[in-house]
Amino acid sequence: MSSHDATVAVYALIALVGLVLEVMSRTGRTEIPPLGTVLTRIMHTRSGRIGVMAGWMWLGLHYFAK
Amino acid sequence: MNKGTDGFDEKHREGTRRSTLPKIDPVIIILALAGLFDGLAGNPVHAILLIAVALLLASNVDLPVLVEERTEAVAGPDDGHPFVAVMIAVVYAVAVGAFERYSWPATVAVIAPGVVGLLMAFRATHSPGPEPRPIGRHGAIAWASLFVALGIFELVNLLLQPDLATGSYAHPTLSTLLDPVLALHTGRSVLLFVWLTLGWYLVKR
Repeated sequence: MSSHDATVAVYALIALVGLVLEVMSRTGRTEIPPLGTVLTRIMHTRSGRIGVMAGWMWLGLHYFAK
Repeated sequence: MNKGTDGFDEKHREGTRRSTLPKIDPVIIILALAGLFDGLAGNPVHAILLIAVALLLASNVDLPVLVEERTEAVAGPDDGHPFVAVMIAVVYAVAVGAFERYSWPATVAVIAPGVVGLLMAFRATHSPGPEPRPIGRHGAIAWASLFVALGIFELVNLLLQPDLATGSYAHPTLSTLLDPVLALHTGRSVLLFVWLTLGWYLVKR
């Protein structure tokens, strides 16, 4: 396995873990909340809301803008 | 234990000194540091925006931060017309996707909805819906670990590049992996649509 393949595999693993966490959260049998609930909680404060929106804007800038 | 002339011990004085230090919101620190390093990486537009948001947030840091109930502050004009909103997003994504990446038209087209989203976040004094329940320790650790792991892995790959501005095939960052997709008009349009939808989803939180 090349370094490239290994790197992609790790990204895929992280995405898979995120998916598993989300699925587990929806079974109601764990303490883990869905990601949407976490975001809602973070964005319940003014600074959290602004911080998350700044992060979202940064994503757009990073991939598309100068 | 050393006692002062007024009867208070040194430990108590230390605690008092600590409590009088100004508290800086960690979000402000994160935004300022992100802006600083983005500027050092040669992205002045990103740096200016991030640092401006940090300064604006710092200037209002004494305002109440906890929100309690739903108001119409974050309600958008399309609340009853999601189809119209989706159509606007599609037209935006197709039109802006036609612009070359890192061009000034693309930059302006991304900054515009970004600033609107940020203004809505600044203006919103209340969060939609009832107060969300606290996140349990295990849940917080699980999600935080995932995003910290992603951040560290991304940083490792970034530092393994020949330099910060040159992608590596052997150690690609997410940006490098997405380059072939974003080289195409269709790819840019799809990701712009996803980005815009994510922004709308966040505004409605």
